[in-house]
Amino acid sequence: MEKKISVGIADMKITRQEGILITYALGSCIGISFYDPMIKLGALLHIMLPEKGRGNDSNIYKFADSGIHETLRKLSAYGATKRRLVCKIAGGAKMFEMKGAGGLGNIGERNAQNVKRILMAEGLHVASEDTGANYARTMLLDVSTGKVSVRSAGRPERFL
Amino acid sequence: MAIKSYEEMNELEMDILKEIGSIGGGNAATAMSSMLNAKVNMSLPKVVILGFNEALDYLGDPEELVAAIFVEMSGELSGIMLLILTKEFSDEVLFRMLGKVDSDFLELEEIDSSVLMETGNIVISSYITAMASLTNVNVELSVPQLAINMVGGIMSAPMSLMGQHSDRIMMITGQFTIDGKALDSEMLLLPDVESLNVLMKKLGVE
Repeated sequence: MEKKISVGIADMKITRQEGILITYALGSCIGISFYDPMIKLGALLHIMLPEKGRGNDSNIYKFADSGIHETLRKLSAYGATKRRLVCKIAGGAKMFEMKGAGGLGNIGERNAQNVKRILMAEGLHVASEDTGANYARTMLLDVSTGKVSVRSAGRPERFL
Repeated sequence: MAIKSYEEMNELEMDILKEIGSIGGGNAATAMSSMLNAKVNMSLPKVVILGFNEALDYLGDPEELVAAIFVEMSGELSGIMLLILTKEFSDEVLFRMLGKVDSDFLELEEIDSSVLMETGNIVISSYITAMASLTNVNVELSVPQLAINMVGGIMSAPMSLMGQHSDRIMMITGQFTIDGKALDSEMLLLPDVESLNVLMKKLGVE
């Protein structure tokens, strides 16, 4: 049985060589996997909102911008090289129509757009994604192989 | 003193919320009771203030499929009201209303979805009506929406809304029993912090 490491909401975990990083039931949130195949180093980040804004919120992994920057900083400390990193994303669904979302509109969509924009600004490109629609997704990164899969209710498991 | 975050609430304020939950829940149970033509009770409400991950743990397996009826509150109060029904509960409702047994949760027929939506609608509106008349606040409700999906994904909606200003969410919860049978369900009222101040002010607690 492979070791499973669970990543919560507004959370990030890094591991190397072996183990499966898993984050459950992403709704409007986004799961972002980072993998350096050369040294078999993987990270899985689960963000909830597109931008940190001006507030002094200490929960860095809650936001796409601060979450991605912090993950990249940690990965580099663990020896990852940016040009080898493979990034994949899942989530960003619209579970319900929300009017009063504080001007956020479709949070899932905004999350997905912002994640891609930030990754691009970091010189990283999204190798594969499964985003949007109206259902939740569980995302897994197998650190021994770099394979990323997504499972959701009533649909076959999908490899990204 | 104004409440600036959920954690700051004192015992008296928490008791008031429990009272609101109890009156709202009682009304909601009565509404469900006449709809299902059965004896429906609601448990004593709890007021819980939890971090995002703790809130999911509280609700069980994040991948569990549930039926959720979602309503947004606006006006003097803002926040979300959710009725979360397990498959077992939804089957009970569909059996009592339509005589159906073991429907396919992910491929519900239109009539099944309408019945679940209407159940949620009636239960939520009775809850809010009772709360509004007790506290004398104006609350408008959005058109209800139904989603059948993983409970973790469902909860991302209120969490992303509250998460903009808080690392915790507050839920006033209650569970229904039908004819003495405890079926897993959650009635969740999720007000934002500002709304708590409105409620307290209206009730003369400051």
